[in-house]
Amino acid sequence: MTPKVGDEIPELVKHPTTRQLVQYAGAQGDFYEIHYDQDYARSVALPGVILHGLLKAAFLGQLVTDWLGDRGTLQSFEVSYRGIDQPGRPYVCRGRVTKADGDRVDLEVWGEDTEGKKTTVGSASVKMK
Amino acid sequence: MAVTQAVDRIKAKIGAAGPPVTAQVEAGHLRRFCEAIGDPNPRWLEEAPPTFLVALAPPSYHVPEAEEYGTGWLNGGNRFEYLEPVRVGDRITATSKVADVYEKSGGSGSLLFIVFETEYVNQHGRIVARLRGTAIRR
Repeated sequence: MTPKVGDEIPELVKHPTTRQLVQYAGAQGDFYEIHYDQDYARSVALPGVILHGLLKAAFLGQLVTDWLGDRGTLQSFEVSYRGIDQPGRPYVCRGRVTKADGDRVDLEVWGEDTEGKKTTVGSASVKMK
Repeated sequence: MAVTQAVDRIKAKIGAAGPPVTAQVEAGHLRRFCEAIGDPNPRWLEEAPPTFLVALAPPSYHVPEAEEYGTGWLNGGNRFEYLEPVRVGDRITATSKVADVYEKSGGSGSLLFIVFETEYVNQHGRIVARLRGTAIRR
């Protein structure tokens, strides 16, 4: 099915835990303490440990590649982190087609916290086969 | 005053590249990365998912002067551009440079933005991806 402007892509709900943050810290090699040390996180005025921005980017990347499958290739992918997110709360990833021009499709993507606030916003460009 | 000097010293790094980092894409690392992000797609047993390169080689280099500014780091954003797929066995060399440095005043004080650009080149000398990342000191 050819993507059309306005099409919503299937949402992806993630359930990040403190365990996942530690797993991600190890897998990425990012050992900044705000992602696993509650006391340290509070000492720098955070409410507690927070998700890595790049973990949220990975969630949004999965949102796009799950939708795209083998129908095309990802050309570019961009995310801006607008707010912090804490583990133990579901993180909902959503997206919608903003441009469909020949084989080129652009999407806007975002991640919402439990209050529906878009804490990560971004876009992706794909080339369809 | 000391902070102003630190900003000037960081600005002097604009355009300067850090040391290149070379790493091989290993199946075990890729598997652990995909477990950590919770993406079970079997395609990623052989091929790197969209954000894997940040785990292979750091998308920035250490700028010690930045730690004189504020109390902590935040990630402002990332932009990936993909030119070729990255697969298990590829040998990737990443080179990062400081592309921009600027200050902004926010609600809770001023922020320092450092924009890094990283180019990832494979064993055949071809650019596979570019990454632009904004690190923020607050």
